[in-house]
Amino acid sequence: MINISQSILVITLLSVLLSLGSTRLTSLVKIMALQGVMVSLTPLFLKDHGSFGSGAIIFFQIMILIKGLLIPGLLYMAVKRIAIKRDIEPFIGYHASILSGLAIILVSVFITNSLRLTLPAGHDIVLITAITTMASGFFLMMARSKAITQVIGYLMLENGIYLIGTALTKHSHTLYVVEFGVLLDLLVGVMIMGIILHNINSAFDDVDTTLLGRLKD
Amino acid sequence: MDTFLLSLTVLFAGGMFALIAHRQFSLMKAGYIAITVAGSLMGLSAIWPTLQGGSPVSFSTTWLHLFTLSFTVDSLSAFFLLPIFAICPLAVLYSFHYMENSEQCGRVAANYFFLNVLVVSMALVASADNLIGFALVWELMSLSSFFLVMYEYQKEATRKAGYIYFIFTHVGALCIFAAFALAYSSTGSYDFASFADMPAKVKAIVFFLALAGFGSKAGIFPMHMWLPHAHPAAPSHISAVMSGVMIKMGIYGIFRLYASLGVTDLIFGEVVLCLGIISGILGVVYAIGNQDLKKLLAYSSVENIGIILIGMGIGMIGVASGNMVMASFAFAGALLHVLNHSIFKTLLFLGAGAVLHKTGGKHLDLLGGLMKKMPTTGKTFLIGSVSISGLPPTNGYVGEFLIYYGAFHGLTLGGSSFLFVMLAIISLAIIGGLAVACFSKVVGMVFLGEPRTEKAATATEAGFSVTLPMIVLAAASIFIGLFPEPFINLVFLGLNGIKSLQLVGPEEVAIVAGNLAFIARLFLAIFLLSVALRKLFYLKKEIVRGATWGCGFTQPTVKIQYTGTSYGMSIVDFFRPFVRIRTSYSGITRIFPGRTTYESRIDDIAEITLMDRIVSPLLYLLGKLRWIQHGHIQLYIGYIIVTIIALLLFI
Repeated sequence: MINISQSILVITLLSVLLSLGSTRLTSLVKIMALQGVMVSLTPLFLKDHGSFGSGAIIFFQIMILIKGLLIPGLLYMAVKRIAIKRDIEPFIGYHASILSGLAIILVSVFITNSLRLTLPAGHDIVLITAITTMASGFFLMMARSKAITQVIGYLMLENGIYLIGTALTKHSHTLYVVEFGVLLDLLVGVMIMGIILHNINSAFDDVDTTLLGRLKD
Repeated sequence: MDTFLLSLTVLFAGGMFALIAHRQFSLMKAGYIAITVAGSLMGLSAIWPTLQGGSPVSFSTTWLHLFTLSFTVDSLSAFFLLPIFAICPLAVLYSFHYMENSEQCGRVAANYFFLNVLVVSMALVASADNLIGFALVWELMSLSSFFLVMYEYQKEATRKAGYIYFIFTHVGALCIFAAFALAYSSTGSYDFASFADMPAKVKAIVFFLALAGFGSKAGIFPMHMWLPHAHPAAPSHISAVMSGVMIKMGIYGIFRLYASLGVTDLIFGEVVLCLGIISGILGVVYAIGNQDLKKLLAYSSVENIGIILIGMGIGMIGVASGNMVMASFAFAGALLHVLNHSIFKTLLFLGAGAVLHKTGGKHLDLLGGLMKKMPTTGKTFLIGSVSISGLPPTNGYVGEFLIYYGAFHGLTLGGSSFLFVMLAIISLAIIGGLAVACFSKVVGMVFLGEPRTEKAATATEAGFSVTLPMIVLAAASIFIGLFPEPFINLVFLGLNGIKSLQLVGPEEVAIVAGNLAFIARLFLAIFLLSVALRKLFYLKKEIVRGATWGCGFTQPTVKIQYTGTSYGMSIVDFFRPFVRIRTSYSGITRIFPGRTTYESRIDDIAEITLMDRIVSPLLYLLGKLRWIQHGHIQLYIGYIIVTIIALLLFI
């Protein structure tokens, strides 16, 4: 029998690997949309879930809307409108990145085991996925040169934090209110990024963040 | 206490009113001034019972459920609150005609708002009763005054002055907070009252740390560098409040600390006395050397802070050696000088502001002859100058005489104390003499002689709101000189809070005060008599008026007058090791000389030392670490990750 929550987590992990290996910005944004939806769905399908009130249902719907539609939509617009060259320009190559992603998964398993937390059944996998997503987010931020990939990396980091929250807390949607605040931060971050991208673009004719090095005194 | 809090609320409301109503410029100014004056009068009525010898009133509230903020108005606080509530409304009134540019209404409103925040925070500093409350309002005071200095922020010099002030005030605050933290870790209590329980060693560290902190606010010599930058940059009524009232909060801090620590070792008094002597003498020397009117007044503030510290130092030595007559009168002189200085320095800054406003120049060599054009400003400025030089029949004389009186009582001491007291008397005399030289220079250059520029020649008297505060302050200055008894009693009441000091009986105070009053009245009588005699003798004679400094020439020029530099340089030259003078002189080579130039400038030795010994090496060292900041976002994120991992592993 197929366990829904596990399949969701597997899809999340795959999306992480895919994002590390993707060569085009548009496809990266699409992957992020998928990942956002998957991550938002995770708490719904975990085993020991109680019943949801109407507030919780609305809450998760908003979550899916923001993570799956609003933020990727904004990113997509940024990619299209500022006519960014569509390829990603990595510091670390795509194959090496995927390899590092696999290594990160192994390390995450190791960390999860060595933490020796008492988790409900099934939650250890959530934790592994969470740590992988977080670390990959960091990796993406460091290994790619474009400003927009930095934001995407940050988005992935946020997804990871959300999953950690899911793994460690008893499920009540009020706990996610904090998470929601982080999400709002992220939304603001994406908007600011839009402005900054525009400025970098008009100043340097490109959105490569290595060009920002010229701004230091 | 309710009246006190109400007055602070009204003052704050005045600031808010200025912000809200800034579009109606004149209405905003008038309303703001009315509310502020009302608030200050309320404040005065609130502290009145305490000034009459009533018991201290206090107020406390909890903040964030964790800290207690408590404020107490005792006699010492009330004495320092007196200048705050009495001087600030005058400065505010002055601003009505001084801030005339209605195009910058928003900025003027912001200036008014921060001015009232400053007044409120100063009042709270003077009444704060525990460490947390004190630290909070101290910081508020520093920040609001920073915004006041930054009024003309488009000017490069103003921004620089603002940042210098910001750095100094925060380094000072750092020292104060360090002292407070040390005190808290030693006593475990936030109250000033528990300071007395500390071990003697901790007391010494706390005292000297806080002395450095309060000293940077008060402008004690090596920490005074922000004063000559910030005062010229700020609008004149702001300089008046900052120099007249705000820097006294540093003195208040030292007084409060001394009272609550209860230290009686000789070393404290000696250090304070030495700092006072250095600040006093070098302050006035730099004042003579500087030709910028407001910069000169700023250095003169350093000098007066020096005089106050000399008084406190003698007082502390008196307490340490058990000579209570000496201690009482020296402390009383220092405290009275706080009030006096806030009166005459405010007067002088307001006068300087009026001159600046009407002539547009603050360099002494661009002014001249203003006594005839601006008679009220000139005469009140003259009274202020007489007062700051410590001459009878004005208030400056009363305060300085009390310090002298205390010091002469200390001549019976033996050993090192005798030396220190002797040194204090000599330096007080030197400071007094140099102050006379300094202010005769200012009055001579600015108000006497002939106008040196077109603008100075066409200047007119300023509006009534500018002259009225100056007249009030000049009158107060002479009033305290002629009737010193109630003020001396006030000072002795304020000193009640210092427990280690046993004050002398009221009979002796009354005798000294009576003699002082007699001398002042005698001087006034002699002065009036000689004026009357002069009038009498010249009654029937023909009087011819010629150009000042005309020297009998038929075609005199304004250039044959003394300049500020030529007047002061011979004195400054004497102090050469402590003052760096740079002159450039093109020289006269031919029999019929062509155009020659002469320029001299004075550099502050403390500033040079700070630049050469601390700032430059630090910049060099930190320049070596520039590679950390390379501009690659990816590596910055790497730094964050490394930090997180390191923290996770090791903590």
